[in-house]
Amino acid sequence: MSAILEVEHVTRRFAGLVAVSDISFKLGQGEILGVIGPNGAGKTTLVSLISGTLRPTAGDIVFEGSRITRLGAYRRARLGIGRTFQIMRPFPGLSVLDNVAVGALFGHTAESDLAKAREKARAQLDFVGLGKFAAQRAEELGGPNRKRLELAKALAMQPKVLLCDEVMAGLNLVEIDEVIEVLRKIRESGISILVIEHVIKAIKQLSDRLLVLHHGDKIADGPPDTVLANSTVIEAYLGRRRP
Amino acid sequence: MTALRLGFVIVVAAVLAALPLFGSDVIIQFGINALLLAVLAQSWNIIGGYTGYASFGNSVFYGLGSYGVAIAMVQWNLPFAVGMIFGVALAVVFAFLLGVPVLRLKGHYFAIATLGLAQVMSAIVSNVSVAGQNIGLVLPPLNNDRLFYELSLVLLIVATLTVFWLTRSRFGFGLIAIRENEEGAAVMGVNTTLYKVLAFALSGAITALAGGIHAYWITFLDPDSAFDISLNVKMIIMAVFGGPGTVFGPVLGAFVLSAISEILSSKVTNVAGLFFGVVVVAAVVLMPRGVADVVRQFRKSGWRYFAENLKAHRI
Amino acid sequence: MDLLAQVLINGVLLGGLYAVMALGLALVWGVLNIVNLAHGAFIMLGAYLAWHLYTYLGIDPFLGLPLTAIVMFCVGYMLQRGLLNLVVRAPMFNTLLITFGLEVVLTYLAQLAFSADFRTINPPYAGNSIALGPLVVPLARLMAFGVAVVLTVGVWLFLLHTKLGRAIRATAQNLVAARLYGVEPRHLYAVTFGIGIGLAGAAGCLYGTVSQINPYIGATLTAKCFAISIIGGLDNPLGVLVGGLVLGVIESLTVLYIGATFGDVASFGVLVLVLIVRPSGLLGKTA
Repeated sequence: MSAILEVEHVTRRFAGLVAVSDISFKLGQGEILGVIGPNGAGKTTLVSLISGTLRPTAGDIVFEGSRITRLGAYRRARLGIGRTFQIMRPFPGLSVLDNVAVGALFGHTAESDLAKAREKARAQLDFVGLGKFAAQRAEELGGPNRKRLELAKALAMQPKVLLCDEVMAGLNLVEIDEVIEVLRKIRESGISILVIEHVIKAIKQLSDRLLVLHHGDKIADGPPDTVLANSTVIEAYLGRRRP
Repeated sequence: MTALRLGFVIVVAAVLAALPLFGSDVIIQFGINALLLAVLAQSWNIIGGYTGYASFGNSVFYGLGSYGVAIAMVQWNLPFAVGMIFGVALAVVFAFLLGVPVLRLKGHYFAIATLGLAQVMSAIVSNVSVAGQNIGLVLPPLNNDRLFYELSLVLLIVATLTVFWLTRSRFGFGLIAIRENEEGAAVMGVNTTLYKVLAFALSGAITALAGGIHAYWITFLDPDSAFDISLNVKMIIMAVFGGPGTVFGPVLGAFVLSAISEILSSKVTNVAGLFFGVVVVAAVVLMPRGVADVVRQFRKSGWRYFAENLKAHRI
Repeated sequence: MDLLAQVLINGVLLGGLYAVMALGLALVWGVLNIVNLAHGAFIMLGAYLAWHLYTYLGIDPFLGLPLTAIVMFCVGYMLQRGLLNLVVRAPMFNTLLITFGLEVVLTYLAQLAFSADFRTINPPYAGNSIALGPLVVPLARLMAFGVAVVLTVGVWLFLLHTKLGRAIRATAQNLVAARLYGVEPRHLYAVTFGIGIGLAGAAGCLYGTVSQINPYIGATLTAKCFAISIIGGLDNPLGVLVGGLVLGVIESLTVLYIGATFGDVASFGVLVLVLIVRPSGLLGKTA
């Protein structure tokens, strides 16, 4: 499998604190890569470094063979990197449909015509199951639907790589299964996915490969079953959560 | 519905255009002032209402537009139209040079930085000899108020069409996305820095045109009046009173508030300003999203609308 | 050299006064997130109050200062409780506008009540000064400076070492933190705004002893207060003191070396530069 995204020795410090420390990995074409780790492990920082809302202190990020480390977030979005936010960033005053239309207008396949962008947005809303909320204002949506909106906004950009920052947090079991189904369909359409998640069961089902972060370090990388059986991982992550 | 609204707007524009045919000189002069204020409120709407950056520096654009016309006509003997272009060029250059660093600031900090810029520009112009230093410049008089009226009306229509275009163009959606959530806009592919600077420059160019018309009409300008901060406050109040981020709100706000202060200052000369202040305070408390929102919501919720506003933001 | 030293002395004395002027604005801004465009108008009201106390009752402006501050505190408390608490959580535009509306109202009320004439408070010692070799230190300005420093340090100690002060500081981080200290937020907001306005009143007394007053001085004073708060940062009253001193000295130096018309260029130029380089203030924490 050829790599679409490569993270090479990336480090990020915040005023002395090392949030991400010398991390390297590859995301294969069409792969679903799960990233887990306890709170403060550096997962969200990693997503921000890839999407460009943060710049690495050291190291490089390579997308489709070219270095994007110095590019701004909007350029990376146009190249085909879409992301969702754990702390959601909807456009509260806009309708749900127009929230998603922004993605179609500015994303990877930037559509300059508003009517066509809205058409594409409607298709994405139907895909994530938000079709009937299209006319509502985004701030009126409830929690689970906001998560779906985040996903629809990123998908409307028609990205090549999708970075999902805890899209399942706060959802019930049925909703989690729905999201897993949606993510699988997304992958079938040819999009590579990096998923950050706390829900171990879900991420184990979903991922082709798992990456474990702990205090900014990568402590494991491999098939889900092997990684979750790894004693370092159990000690660092699972052991801490269920003492 | 939209056809109806379009017809209504065209009728209003036609009536406004025909006003000088039957209006008195006083009315025409009031009209010029009200139209120019509406242009200012509308162009502030681009950067403040649509992009969400509360600029207190738009009076700089107004001053640059005024001085562009005055310098071109008085010092270089060029025609008015060339002066207008010169003024717009000054405004756009200013927007690009200072927009980049200043538009990195958020919220109050942006507001205050632009306020500071306005003060600095006024003081700098007071020391530039081609601008007549702090004495100012006197332009060749042109006693044709009807012409100034129609020019102002055309400019207002251009400004309003520009804002209307924002509501249905990719550029406008980018600006709105920035207002609603700047980081969210950036990761979706909006070039936030460029868009903000373009919005600032667009707002500045229209404001400069209004300044140019005003300077030629008044035939005199000095740094204090050209870079008057209270003019900037006025445009914000009119835009917010009418409804920021809407197509017609700022125009409505400018007309209503101009009329109120005109009536007050003719009836109750010495307390007119006091009433104006009270109107502003009451408007913020009772209709925080402007007249445009009242018009939309009042039919639905009636008087309860005001009570709900009272409750919405208190602690 | 003597000239430079004299200008520095003038700048420092002016800066102390500037600091008290800005202290209330910075406090209200930092804690309530309201940029009070009417702050200068409250300084103006304080100055008129001191003028009346002196002219009609013969109370020295420095002795009248506590009384003025208390009266202005009550005005501020009631304004916040009755009006501004309605909009504290509204978007920034709205709080800016409502305080601007207040500024207009206060200015016109002052014009109706006190006329547009310039007033000065001239206590018998107004012309006195202390000679330091070739240098001259005007007595009234020195006293104003002293009071300014005492007030600034007083506010600092109050915020650090009293329960109410700690509640106010906590509120700056989180709007409802007051509850953790057993204080009703509405009351706490009103107290904070009251302190801000009380400080404006006190600053007005001092301003009246060193400068002329009329109903229209408010807007310029507000703009200066912005500059000082930005230079000093909103975190700490001592920062505001530094901001005031910096601005006072820069203004005095600019007027001496570049020209009187550049005084405002300097202060606002510094403001813009500081904002661009360090948005959280010269002494503020980095964001």
